[in-house]
This record gives sequence, C-alpha cells and structure tokens, in this order.
Amino acid sequence: MLGIYRSFLFLYPKSHRAEFGDEMLRVFAEAERDLAPFGTLVRAAFYTRELAGLATGALEERIRSGTGVRSWEVFPVRRHTVRSEFRFPKFTLVLMTVILGAIVFAIEQATAIRNSVAGASPHVGPIQPVHFTFLPAILLCFACAYVAGMVGWAILFALRRSGLHRLDAMNGRQE
Amino acid sequence: MDPIPLSEPVLLILMSLAEEPRHGYSILKDVSTMSDGRVTLSTGTLYGALRRLLDDGWIERFEQEDTSRGRQAYRLTANGRRNLQTEIRRLKHLTRVASMRVAAKES
Repeated sequence: MLGIYRSFLFLYPKSHRAEFGDEMLRVFAEAERDLAPFGTLVRAAFYTRELAGLATGALEERIRSGTGVRSWEVFPVRRHTVRSEFRFPKFTLVLMTVILGAIVFAIEQATAIRNSVAGASPHVGPIQPVHFTFLPAILLCFACAYVAGMVGWAILFALRRSGLHRLDAMNGRQE
Repeated sequence: MDPIPLSEPVLLILMSLAEEPRHGYSILKDVSTMSDGRVTLSTGTLYGALRRLLDDGWIERFEQEDTSRGRQAYRLTANGRRNLQTEIRRLKHLTRVASMRVAAKES
C-alpha cells in the first residue's frame, strides 16, 4: 500500500512533495502499522480516507500554486464545520456500493458488446502517452464533481430543501 | 491564513500544538482523542493545513533533541497562540450567548 500512497504523492506539486513528501510517507506508514490489529473494514476505511485526502489535498495545492487562490475560496463547503456524526459513514458506504455496482455493470456491458461484435471493430493501435495525461483527467473529474455538487445544492436550495431551509424550519417549529 | 472562524480541523491542530510541540502522527492521534474519534484527519488534510499554518507564521518547525526517527516536530508561534486565544474567546462568547438564548426560551 505504501507504493500506491507514494504514487498518489506525485499528484502534488514538486515543491510540496520535496518539503513534505517523506514526512507524509512516514506518518502514513506509522498509522498503517498501528492499524495492524484491526479488521479489514477499518483498514479499508483508512485507505479510502487517506487516498481521498491525498487527491483533494493535491488538487488544493495545484490550485494554490497555480493561481494563488486559497482552497476555501474555491470550495466554500470547507468553511462549514457542522456535520453529522452518523450519517456520513453510512452514506459513504451506500455511495461506494452504488459506484462499484455501476463500474461492474459497465465492464460487463462492455465485455458483452465486444463479444457480440467480435472482429467488427477496426484494430486500434497502442495508446500513446501524448493522448492521455493522468493529471488533467483527475482535475476534470474533480471539476465535474464540484459542478455536480453545486448544481445539486442549487436544486435543493430552489426546492427549499437545503440545510439552511431545514434549519429555518427547525427554528420555526421550536418557536 | 484565513481570518477566523477557523475550520474545525485547523482549530484542533492548533489546540494539539498549544500543549506541546508535536510531530505529524502525534497530531493525528491527538486530534482524534480530543474529538472522541469524531474527527480523523488524513495525512493529506493534515499536511495541507500544516503548510498553510507554516506559510502564515502560526506554527514553526521545532528541532527536537532526539532526531533518531527523523520526525519533524511543529510548535505554535506567539502569533499562532494569540490567534488561537482570539478564536477561543469567540467560541466562549458564542456558547455564552447560545446558553442565554436557550435558557431564556426554556424559562
């Protein structure tokens, strides 16, 4: 797992990697070692949190080093620290299961299509590195997720179902 | 550094360093302990926050006598401690007002 963590560190700008890379790797190794007595589920949650933290941290560092803009100016959600203790893990598990199911389904569909039209597709040569760069793809994914989140929040706000409206409703009931 | 109010992870990191200089993993464990396991920082989140705090002069690197394990420790600067105290005063004021409002409503 240390190798995967090290490869995720390459998402960070070089300066951040030079300054904190070894230290982050050491802390991750320490945390991983302390998790040895725990079960698979706990370790899976730890690895998910670590890799997600690296991906979002790298994106923030890229934005900051590229534009000088602080992360919370781009991701205002970071300023809200009120959150549910119990809802997030359950929701995450459901979301991960749905995503996994969608990926497996897509792979199955692709395999079925390939088998049903065997030989019909023209030969495609090897993919050249110039045609695919990992970082832009990751950045695009984050941008899409961010836009989708904002759209979702706007819909909830328009339907008066956002957190703000729920708080208002709760206050109204208490009064 | 962003003006206060601080985000919860940053506040907990500052609280952890207020007691004594700590290295990265010690901060992670202390934050988890202080929040009763509710806040568990990833290394990415921790070092993003540490870099910002270093840039803004709220914390500084601290050379420990025992460097055998190659750990880098951090400690609060005078500026960081002052800002933390300001945030604590703000939170105290907020809880005092909240208590008064709730008590007034109940009576």
